[in-house]
Amino acid sequence: MGSKQTVFTHEQLEAYQDNPFRQRIAQVFSEDGDGHMTLDNFLDMFSVMSEMAPRDLKAYYAFKIYDFNNDDYICAWDLEQTVSRLTRGELSAEEVSLVCEKVLDEADGDHDGRLSLEDFQNMILRAPDFLSTFHIRI
Amino acid sequence: MKPSKASQRYRSIRRNANLYQESLFLSNLDDSFNADEAGDSHDPEQIFQNIQFQKDLMANIRCRPWPMGQKLRALRRAKEIVLKFEGRLTRTRGYQAAGAELWRKFARLACNFVVIFIPWEMRIKKIESHFGSGVASYFIFLRWLFGINIMLTVMTSAFIVIPELIAGQPFGSTASKTVPKEHIASAQDLDTVWSLGGYLQYSVLFYGYYGRERRIGRAGYRLPLAYFLVGMAVFAYSFIILLRKMAKNSRTSLASASHENYTFCWRVFCAWDYLIGNPEAAESKTAAIVNSIREAILEEQEKKKSKNLAVTICLRIIANILVLLSLAGSIYLIYFVVDRSQKLEQSKKELTLWEKNEVSVVVSLVTMLAPSAFDLIAALEMYHPRTSLRFQLARVLVLYLGNLYSLIIALLDKVNSMSILEAATKNNTNNRPDSTTFFATRTTSVEEQWSSLQPGMGLRKNSTWALEEASTPTLPMPFTPTNRTSLHHQWPQDQCWETYVGQELLKLSIIDMLFTVASILLIDFFRGLFVRYLSDYWCWDLESTFPEYGEFKIAENVLHLVYNQGMIWMGAFFSPCLPAFNVLKLIGLMYLRSWAVLTCNVPHQQVFRASRSNNFYLSMLLFMLFLCMLPTIFAIVRYKPSLNCGPFSGQEKIYDIVSETIANDFPVWFNRVVGYISSPVVILPALLLLLYLYGPSESMGDIPKSRSCPPVTLKKHLEDVHSESLFQKAFQKGNPPLPRPGASVLAAHGRRPQAPRYDLIREQKAHKNFWPERRFKINASGDIVELYPRNTRPCVPSGPRQALSPQLSDEEEILGRDWTRQAFHPRSLTDLHWAPHFYVGDRTVGQSLAPEDLRRKHCKSWNDGFEDQLAHPVYVPKKPRSRYVQYPQPPLKPRAKPQFEPPLTESDSMSVASSSDQEHSSTDQYLQVVHSHAKNPRPVGQRGRRKAKSGQELTTDLNDLICSNV
Repeated sequence: MGSKQTVFTHEQLEAYQDNPFRQRIAQVFSEDGDGHMTLDNFLDMFSVMSEMAPRDLKAYYAFKIYDFNNDDYICAWDLEQTVSRLTRGELSAEEVSLVCEKVLDEADGDHDGRLSLEDFQNMILRAPDFLSTFHIRI
Repeated sequence: MKPSKASQRYRSIRRNANLYQESLFLSNLDDSFNADEAGDSHDPEQIFQNIQFQKDLMANIRCRPWPMGQKLRALRRAKEIVLKFEGRLTRTRGYQAAGAELWRKFARLACNFVVIFIPWEMRIKKIESHFGSGVASYFIFLRWLFGINIMLTVMTSAFIVIPELIAGQPFGSTASKTVPKEHIASAQDLDTVWSLGGYLQYSVLFYGYYGRERRIGRAGYRLPLAYFLVGMAVFAYSFIILLRKMAKNSRTSLASASHENYTFCWRVFCAWDYLIGNPEAAESKTAAIVNSIREAILEEQEKKKSKNLAVTICLRIIANILVLLSLAGSIYLIYFVVDRSQKLEQSKKELTLWEKNEVSVVVSLVTMLAPSAFDLIAALEMYHPRTSLRFQLARVLVLYLGNLYSLIIALLDKVNSMSILEAATKNNTNNRPDSTTFFATRTTSVEEQWSSLQPGMGLRKNSTWALEEASTPTLPMPFTPTNRTSLHHQWPQDQCWETYVGQELLKLSIIDMLFTVASILLIDFFRGLFVRYLSDYWCWDLESTFPEYGEFKIAENVLHLVYNQGMIWMGAFFSPCLPAFNVLKLIGLMYLRSWAVLTCNVPHQQVFRASRSNNFYLSMLLFMLFLCMLPTIFAIVRYKPSLNCGPFSGQEKIYDIVSETIANDFPVWFNRVVGYISSPVVILPALLLLLYLYGPSESMGDIPKSRSCPPVTLKKHLEDVHSESLFQKAFQKGNPPLPRPGASVLAAHGRRPQAPRYDLIREQKAHKNFWPERRFKINASGDIVELYPRNTRPCVPSGPRQALSPQLSDEEEILGRDWTRQAFHPRSLTDLHWAPHFYVGDRTVGQSLAPEDLRRKHCKSWNDGFEDQLAHPVYVPKKPRSRYVQYPQPPLKPRAKPQFEPPLTESDSMSVASSSDQEHSSTDQYLQVVHSHAKNPRPVGQRGRRKAKSGQELTTDLNDLICSNV
């Protein structure tokens, strides 16, 4: 190891965890839903996030990740969460609400004001770069 | 329109998603179900099915959204069951499986390994994270071009330059390889070197250096032949690689044909790159996401803006006039400069540095300045930024092409005038009294082969170049030997027009590079410095008002690359080292540009994604390649190669080398065969056949490696079909329905042809993918007629079209229908070609002659393809119209409608939309045809195309049937 630092401070660890959805990912894949993962859960996570995983599976878990309140629908509140995490709060409130509105407008097939898994899958599976970005390489 | 569209989309979503859910659910159930059942079932049929199911499960275990524990359990159980009932696998199968697994792992490893060697990946990623995908796409394009140029360099250097250097006659051994005595003093002067004269002119850089011996070295390497073949291979390779890339791109980009529908969704849900693990990258990714979302919002607002029409139209007209004027001006300027330099060269002995280089300098200046002028002009027009970007691109492309063309035409003109001069000299020397002094040299010069060919050549040149009516008659038929020798003395190097063209293009390329560097430094770097450091002391805010920081102009830069590559293609034949030079240039450009972008440019305030579609660049490049190939090919075919330099000296035409080789070095029968084959009757169809076959096979090759399992592919396929129909709908809506066939042909032909064609390819490959399953059905049930129509209806993809029809009035409906067909036409055309083919190829394996035969046949029809395309629309609209004459509309419509409502809630086949009144008969008809197809596929398919009333839609339906059945 030489001069390399082997123990990380808390701040450094924080800085290295850049994925805005890291908590959600941990929650979704953990059995108890609070982010504590067993080995199996961990394997699950990497099996889903691997390059080899099929689209549908990825889409299914992506939906779960973006569904912040676990009600099996992505509602406006979930969307706001997503957007604000993505942009680290750089967008103004109006912009965020506009974006949420547009998203719902585009993808909400049954006009119930929220995205179901079906809506989400239909939308995400057509995205050109979903597959290429939704994976983790270790 | 919108709600119906949305609801329709929703329904299709619903169906797809249901399917998926179902499969999840079922598999969940089955899991437990089978576990219970595994032990106690004794019915062999059931056991067999069970085994089949378990095997599927094992193959697709990855697709199930189960937790790991459940997966493991299921897998273990499945394996147990399979083992128990099927007995152990044989040993060879085991080895095979192990080998396949090993190979897969190795391939993956190799893949990972290769990734390391992709050059500039990090650099590009960095740029991507700072400036977004648009700017990065420029660099990716640059890198791709770099790859192509490397290949071209390898080709030219391996087969031309290195053999010549190793085995060719050394420098100074022959006249074409030595610097003439009168020039030797100035051969190392800077301005000589600068204008590529002196030693450079007589080096491997240029055509003129290469020796004319048919075989060189001990191995007898045929250099002239290699020179010619490589020259052609450069073009061929570029074409193939471009088309391949385009096919590949179109496959990926078609998934986003309905791009506009989900702008925001994708920007939110697909924005984050889960690969990012670096805080800095995350920072810039966040910035990029914010940027892209803002851009989307902006675009949304842009849509709502209203403008004053009259003013904008006026402005646009003015702008276009200005653009045209500047185009004409630049072309004239270049022609003028070439003309001037030519005159100067004739009149003056010593040329200044400026006079030597003015052509390339002017060309480079024009190419540098005019785009900015266009940019200013574009500001007048007030288009949506994306539209204006397209306009800008088109204009700049035309400008570049105009430049290159006027340059090359002027150059060839100069070549012509060289020959005039030559002829004039001949006359002069002929009349000279002291000609006898040269007579002594005659005997020696006659020994040289080239001079024995000379008199004839002089004449032929005159006749082919068709310019010098004046000189031809004055030429005396029998040349005295004197002419030849004097000619040889007086025009040794100027005669080598190939070298001259090569020199000129290489010079242009160099000067272009210098200008690029200068413009980067001046426009980006110094401006950046100036703005950055003087801003505090200036009277106004430099950073935000006038000079600002430079923006990276994607469009111009990409076009500049295209232009640059065009130059290379144009000159590669005359200067074999041009690709090598270009490689260096591109490397330099890569580093300089990326440095400049990262240090001095600011991200666009509005990043528009227009440049995302890489096929746009590629199609421009293809266009450029084609147009740059023309002059070279023209020169090769039309002009006689120079007499005393280059590998083809002494030949009548450059391409004679091939026929010569064939005549001398191949057996006689081969010669004769070639004679037949090379007749245009064979060549032309063969070429088209190649082109046609190339596309489909290219895009079909990819499918097997898609790592998916049946339910997934099924969905994917449906998706494709849907997106395609959506796309078509958009197309229909965008263009007003045109009743006239001629106009529709234009519409179908003009801009689109690529898109629909690739469409089908996608679809076909989907079909192919599904074929086995379908066949299985046929085999199992045996009764196709029963099976097909019933299964099909809910799934046939062209849903939206139906929604269109009820809202139109009768008249409109007719038009709309016609249009529908025409819009659909290309698809059905190819479907026609392919449908029978698939039948034969896959189903009735026994028919040996069929596939080949068919292939040829449908290629033939592709050949007259355009005739086909022309013929169809003319012939198609007639049918519905005549039908309408026979059947009055209003009473029929309600009758047809309810009849079909129940089974097709949301779709359906074009037949509904296109001929609702004929529903009955149409259904019957296609039942019948399906039947006969199954029996005797080929003839019906062929005949059906031409004759059967609705043959077109039948086969389309057939295809739909195939896909929907799965």
